[in-house]
Amino acid sequence: MKELTVRIRRFDPDKDTGPHVESYTVKVNDGARVLHVLHAIHDTLDPTLSYRYSCASGQCGSCAVRVNGEPVLACMEEAKDRITIEPLNLAVKKDLVTDLIPRLDQIASLLPKKDVVLPKKADIDAIKPLKDCIECLSCVSVCPAVDVTKFIGPTAMRQEMRLVLDPRDSGDRIPDAIRDGLFFCTTCQACWKVCPKSIEIPGKAIEKLRAHANKRGLSLPRHMEVAALVQETGRSIPRTSESFLEKVPGVIEPDGPVKATVGFFVGCMYNLRQQQSALDAMEVLRRNGIRVIIPKEQVCCGSPLIRTGNLAYIDELKRRNIETFKSRGIDTVLTMCAGCGTTLKKDYQTPFAVIDINELLTRYGIEPPARLPIKATYHDPCHLMRGQDIRDQPRALIRQVVDLVEMPSICCGSGGGVRAGNPDEAAALGKRRGEEIKKTGADIVITSCPFCEFHIAGHTDKPVKNIATVLLEGYREKDRKKAAGSKR
Amino acid sequence: MLADEVCDCHVLVIGSGGAGVRAAIEASQFGKTVLISKTIVGKGGCTTMAEGGYNAVLRELDSCGGHYEDTLKGGAYLNDPELVDILTKEAPLRMGDLVKWGAVFDFTDADEVAQRPFGGQRFPRTCYAGDRTGHEMMMTLVDRLAATDVETLQEYTVIDLLKDGDAVIGAMALDEKGRLVLLKADSTILATGGGTKVYDISTNSSSGTGDGYAMGYRAGAELIDMEMVQFHPTGAIQPYDARGRLVTEAVRGEGGVLKNVNGERFMKTYDPARMELSTRDVVARAIATEILKGRGTPNGGVYLDVTHLPREQIESRLPVMLEQFKKFGVDIRTTPMEVAPTAHHIMGGLRITSECRTTLPGLFACGEVSGSVHGANRLGGNALAETQVFGKRAGESAGKAAPRKKIVDQQQVDAQQDRLNRFLAGTINPSQVRKKLQLAMWEGAGIFRNAGDLEKTLALVKQLAPSRIRAASPRNLAECCILENMCLTASLICRAALLRTESRGAHVRTDIVQTHDAEHSPFGHTFLSRAREGIEIREGKQ
Repeated sequence: MKELTVRIRRFDPDKDTGPHVESYTVKVNDGARVLHVLHAIHDTLDPTLSYRYSCASGQCGSCAVRVNGEPVLACMEEAKDRITIEPLNLAVKKDLVTDLIPRLDQIASLLPKKDVVLPKKADIDAIKPLKDCIECLSCVSVCPAVDVTKFIGPTAMRQEMRLVLDPRDSGDRIPDAIRDGLFFCTTCQACWKVCPKSIEIPGKAIEKLRAHANKRGLSLPRHMEVAALVQETGRSIPRTSESFLEKVPGVIEPDGPVKATVGFFVGCMYNLRQQQSALDAMEVLRRNGIRVIIPKEQVCCGSPLIRTGNLAYIDELKRRNIETFKSRGIDTVLTMCAGCGTTLKKDYQTPFAVIDINELLTRYGIEPPARLPIKATYHDPCHLMRGQDIRDQPRALIRQVVDLVEMPSICCGSGGGVRAGNPDEAAALGKRRGEEIKKTGADIVITSCPFCEFHIAGHTDKPVKNIATVLLEGYREKDRKKAAGSKR
Repeated sequence: MLADEVCDCHVLVIGSGGAGVRAAIEASQFGKTVLISKTIVGKGGCTTMAEGGYNAVLRELDSCGGHYEDTLKGGAYLNDPELVDILTKEAPLRMGDLVKWGAVFDFTDADEVAQRPFGGQRFPRTCYAGDRTGHEMMMTLVDRLAATDVETLQEYTVIDLLKDGDAVIGAMALDEKGRLVLLKADSTILATGGGTKVYDISTNSSSGTGDGYAMGYRAGAELIDMEMVQFHPTGAIQPYDARGRLVTEAVRGEGGVLKNVNGERFMKTYDPARMELSTRDVVARAIATEILKGRGTPNGGVYLDVTHLPREQIESRLPVMLEQFKKFGVDIRTTPMEVAPTAHHIMGGLRITSECRTTLPGLFACGEVSGSVHGANRLGGNALAETQVFGKRAGESAGKAAPRKKIVDQQQVDAQQDRLNRFLAGTINPSQVRKKLQLAMWEGAGIFRNAGDLEKTLALVKQLAPSRIRAASPRNLAECCILENMCLTASLICRAALLRTESRGAHVRTDIVQTHDAEHSPFGHTFLSRAREGIEIREGKQ
């Protein structure tokens, strides 16, 4: 037996004006789950604690709660000392019990065709990965779009895709999915990262449904415009001034000895809109022994098309990009755009390794910059943190130059074609991001994604800077101090 | 206080597992149907956590006659042959319904529903959806239910049946805040599932508390074979607080082997012909014996080993097992599981006819709450089939029943209100009573039984039953009612176990020397009601 102390958010709508947190200390056996801690509290300390459970073996999806902010199944998650247990981010009925039923009712049902059609094994095999869902609604709890739009949530889209794949279903699912918010998903990946069954809803359902919509001419007009632009120019952003690729040489040699050589994949945003961030990154790389080859024939990675279901031109983009880097004999391709990085890593099959700039700089180590006398907060780009599991590396870099104050990792609202296609939603999510930034009291916001940089800048009065820019400022400060010192 | 009348319907279905939802779907064709559930429909009950499969004769080489014989033999010939005949003939039809409605069962390369071998069956006739078969069925049934006009009352706890004379005319229930509501119905279907939560170690969901047995008994219905409790051979033993969790028979169906601490495949001494795929009663006793003789693992189980199987087979056929054990720190692809028997299923229950009529007018029963389909031991894969076959039958018979005049007796309502007030004024923590009950049942009415222990257990249960248990708030009233149901169900198990003075199927009396085998047993069903109790004697077998 061991003793655990946990904090639980309590709320009784009949008595309380708002929720409050209470602390409990109970004894449980080694290996006890969160559910067993709740049982122990209910059985020995407070029988009025309300929580829901049924199968206690991870199969019914009744007991999802948040532990330290993250949704988990109480019956499967090992209980730790000092955890905080809260209800899912849904309407709370009492304590840890949330109102699941309205959300469950929104999930579509199969409507059998009049004449019985039987599936083939190939149909079954295609549907099966979408059928592991236990409807615990953890995904709905974390979905940013659900909070600010009429999007009915990730698992409902999973079900729509499951029905699209089923020859027995008579429904017309694509218009339904669009009505229920298909284009509101920012593909932030939060849903499947918390899914106890690891169902990759953005990639396996949302993007697939959008591709079906596209085939039927039901893509958002703005998304089709972007697709046309990519097909015409190779870029998802119109050229308004000299691009990054036009400004830089084909090879950038480092100042000191060469630690590594990489090919740089710039991406449309850094090439055409946020060029200064990319130029700053080149300076940081030069200073840290990284030799950078920059092939000029590279084109859009295709991310804006894949996320929005416009797949017609994708294979051509992939072929051109792979060929460009392969023909130079490049074995490692560097990305600094979170979206391009995820796309090259997940949607491509590349003959070369793909590495994000934060991974690269922490792998080889950086020259210490001077510390800047400012407090910064860091915005996790979805496609870096969840898309590539890069969470610690940017923080390790940032802490070398400024004081870091954390804020919750939430989507800024710009991804998945939402900024282009649903600007109101993007603005609503950006506003929430801005509010969190304000709460931190930070002087600046640092991030590592051009979409986030660009979008967040519109929703905060603090400067939004790329991590490379901040490092470079640290180096300039160091150089300035050094110069001042030698003058003296 | 006058309770609120929530509804007056044609058919009231109590319970939302596989049997209840199937019954409601069927009944809805005949009139206003209400499905009441103490959980969220689709999430509660044991169907959704059933892993292994659904037995149905689907191939030319198999036959319903074969399924019938396997079921009777597996059930130690205590099953009602007519019900078994129905089960085996209709299981394929009801499977067809599920597939038509969208169920995603695993298919073979020939585009047919795949089947795997399960214990005690001559043919691999267990259909499956990986090892989440019951969940797949529930999702399909809930989908179908949504297409009907069945009204659902979710997270309402039925606490007793309503009677008008001998007839059942509905039920009384508590909503989630503990308010009493009345539901009147021409026909009432009990589909409340089982009750092995009365044991300390059980596979059941939170709903497996025997409510249907208890409410049926209190209303005057007759129950049969309540001593027949199936101990599933393979329950998880670690971590301790999650003990009893089901490790599906599909693990052995896919080729998993049982070994004692010395690495011996001990089933060769208990059933060399069928080995690990012997019937559950035999395998459970073999494991319990190995542990009792000191050949168990240090944690008190035996090994269930699939490490010799191809990784791909484990990953595709047993994904839930793989994931669950991984969560608890064991990779079953490389490390044997540790398992021990766990209380799983009650074969006994309300006596029913082939139309699912109980001995009370107006009351129907289907699924685990009913008795006699499985006899003295259930074959793995027959419970899911039973839910569908008899769920449909119950829904149809209840639906076809004539409307009935329903006069609510205020005295019954007042008595119920008094019961609730008693709980509110109680003093004893119900959790303590529940734990005592569960331990006593595990100790005294488990796999190996004798008259002395059973009497001692029964005495303790009778002493616990009238405890002045306390509802800390109106929301806790349901918990108190359920605990009373658990106590009553436990006492029914003990009483029936004392009545059956033989070893048969899952029921083993170590204090009785017997010369007959199951097929030639002089005994029929044990029966218990408020009016009578006893054991049937079979003519010509003495």
